[in-house]
Amino acid sequence: MSVLSAYRLVRRSSASRKVAVLAPLGALVATIVLNLCLYLAMGKDAGAVFHAMLVEPLVSWSSFSEVLLKMTPLLLIAQGLAIGFRANVVNIGAEGQFILGAIFAASIPVWFPQATGGWIWPLMLLLGGIGGALWAVVPAFWRVRLNASEILVTLMMSLIATQLLAYLLVGPWKDPMGFNFPQSVMFQMDATLPLLIPGTRVNVALVLALVVTLAAWVYMQRSFQGYQLVVGGLAPQASAYAGFAESRAVWLSLLIGGFAAGLAGAAEVAGPLGQLQRSVASGYGYAAIIVAYLGGLNPIGILFSSLLIAILYIGGDNAMVSAELPVAAVRVFQGSLLVCYLAAITLVRYRLVRVKSEVRA
Amino acid sequence: MTSTLNRRNFLRTTAAMGLAAGFAPAMALAEDGTLGITLVLPSPLGDVGWGRALANGLEPVKAAYGDKVKVTILENIMEGPDADRIMTKSVADGSKFLIAGSFGYQNGALQIARRNADVSVLHASGFMVAPNFTPFAARNYEGTYLLGMAAAALSKSGKLGTVSAFAIPELITSINAFTLGAQAINPAAEVAVVWVNSWFDPAKEQESAKALIAQGCDVIFSNAQDTPSVVDICEKSGAYVCNLNSSMKAYAATKYLGCAATDWSPFFLEQVKAHFEGSFKGHNAFLGMAEQVEKVLDWSADIPADVMEKIKAREAGITSGEAPVFAGPIAKQDGSEGVAAGAAMKDEEIVAMDWHVKGVTTPLPN
Repeated sequence: MSVLSAYRLVRRSSASRKVAVLAPLGALVATIVLNLCLYLAMGKDAGAVFHAMLVEPLVSWSSFSEVLLKMTPLLLIAQGLAIGFRANVVNIGAEGQFILGAIFAASIPVWFPQATGGWIWPLMLLLGGIGGALWAVVPAFWRVRLNASEILVTLMMSLIATQLLAYLLVGPWKDPMGFNFPQSVMFQMDATLPLLIPGTRVNVALVLALVVTLAAWVYMQRSFQGYQLVVGGLAPQASAYAGFAESRAVWLSLLIGGFAAGLAGAAEVAGPLGQLQRSVASGYGYAAIIVAYLGGLNPIGILFSSLLIAILYIGGDNAMVSAELPVAAVRVFQGSLLVCYLAAITLVRYRLVRVKSEVRA
Repeated sequence: MTSTLNRRNFLRTTAAMGLAAGFAPAMALAEDGTLGITLVLPSPLGDVGWGRALANGLEPVKAAYGDKVKVTILENIMEGPDADRIMTKSVADGSKFLIAGSFGYQNGALQIARRNADVSVLHASGFMVAPNFTPFAARNYEGTYLLGMAAAALSKSGKLGTVSAFAIPELITSINAFTLGAQAINPAAEVAVVWVNSWFDPAKEQESAKALIAQGCDVIFSNAQDTPSVVDICEKSGAYVCNLNSSMKAYAATKYLGCAATDWSPFFLEQVKAHFEGSFKGHNAFLGMAEQVEKVLDWSADIPADVMEKIKAREAGITSGEAPVFAGPIAKQDGSEGVAAGAAMKDEEIVAMDWHVKGVTTPLPN
């Protein structure tokens, strides 16, 4: 007979608020120290790297405006996704819904390249939202009627969306003057979003994303429907007993998520891109899943997590340009921050307890 | 004053140092006459491929100018808003010589050129020209024509195949020249095309190569792949293989046919010199064997001597300009006349070529 000791995670009865705030900060510090060692080992100027990566995005106006630009689609998509995630409707196909939003929005400048008027970009955004929501109809229908996993169906719909985009760009929507390059015509002025801050690329979509954030907060905190969604996610049986329909939750979650992602896609083509290109599918839909969970599926938390992830993207690119950091090291920084954060969050919710167990030989 | 180094103190000091370092202003750049040269690449910089060829082209520039140039290579930069931002940032950081290594950077790079008259921009594969903005491309078709000759000589089935990235003129001309070269040796030779619709998708490229081999193609042309994906499959399947940009012989010891390689260094050296002298002038740089940018390397030893003689003769003709690749008569895929007898395609027709020659069996994706 021997006595072994092991560690086990035991859920805390309640997480202290102070620790909950300190955990992300601790994760950030741990990440910085870890990566500092890495850069020193690589023989890089660690000070320059950190300045480029973490300070410059916040203190240089040109970099910070890019952070805001990058944050906009992440924020929009993540707010939409979080509503579903809380109801346990796992839509991981925001990328596809984003692409459909971009395609729907692009239909106006592609079909009516000469059209002018202030109505064009709002209509494009609306169409984008509708396109994203329509793409989410398929997984919603299959989940409700055929009980097909929305996780798989939404993911697969994204692959189809990529192919649809490729088809349009090498086929009917190809710029006739573009030497066969797979891209649409450049959009006319009225088909691009008005800039919010002159001299930057920040456009009205940022305001839209903030409004959506506010709406999401009100919806989840204050509306009965939001409450039904949360209960359905936490305790499906209790929810059903109370008469909340699961199918309604699935429809609502997917349509809202799809609409938000489509809106973001429309804002991307009508914003910084200015034409429909394959590179519109740049992974925002997947990154937003991380953003949603990092923000604790809370609308206000997501506001901060989208800002953080945007800073990491912009800072990472800055570090490549200014501090000659290889792209792989940038990814290591971003990845290690997520790992540290997840570890910290785990320790907020759980205690590490040393357990002595008796094992019979 | 005495200070004790305990753990808390140590932590506090290191943290403060870290912060101080973080807030220190970024180093000043390029105020000392050093020319910042930035090369932006769409895919990860590997040992071979498009990006490697561009990066290698800068080595002689570094050797020639030493401390007077500072080369930064930014790899795996997605086309679109990210690339625009990154290029803007590197110019703001002091780079005055920008090499935008992919067609998709065109709009962003052109805007940078317009906003910064003191910056010289080279842009790969594009068609826009501005006073300080030069699109550049290699006449890959000159090399692929010769590869086509060798391919037809080694093919038993007369069926050749190509795995190609995008149906843009640059790649279409490479396929057409490959086909014409093959027909110069075997008039019945045919070429099947698989469009991958990606610059970098090794899995799909390999599947495409396998599909072509399964259809009976016994020589494969890897058209604009950045990894030895296709080359590797061909070596394993026993099909001869050739490719663009940089040699991949190391990945196909027995079945490597040759490489239509690009050596960008003569062009880069010339353009950097022009920038230093203040004589940089935007123009359409279409560079071939005459400029020593396009060359075929690592010919397979299996090519019969008589064919090799013909290849060398044609190579000399292409270099001198006496025997251009797209000299008529050339029939289009549907049999109609592409180039009349006695005529030759002009450069502006070649860079906009959107039709296949007869002998390419796959229709162009409209």
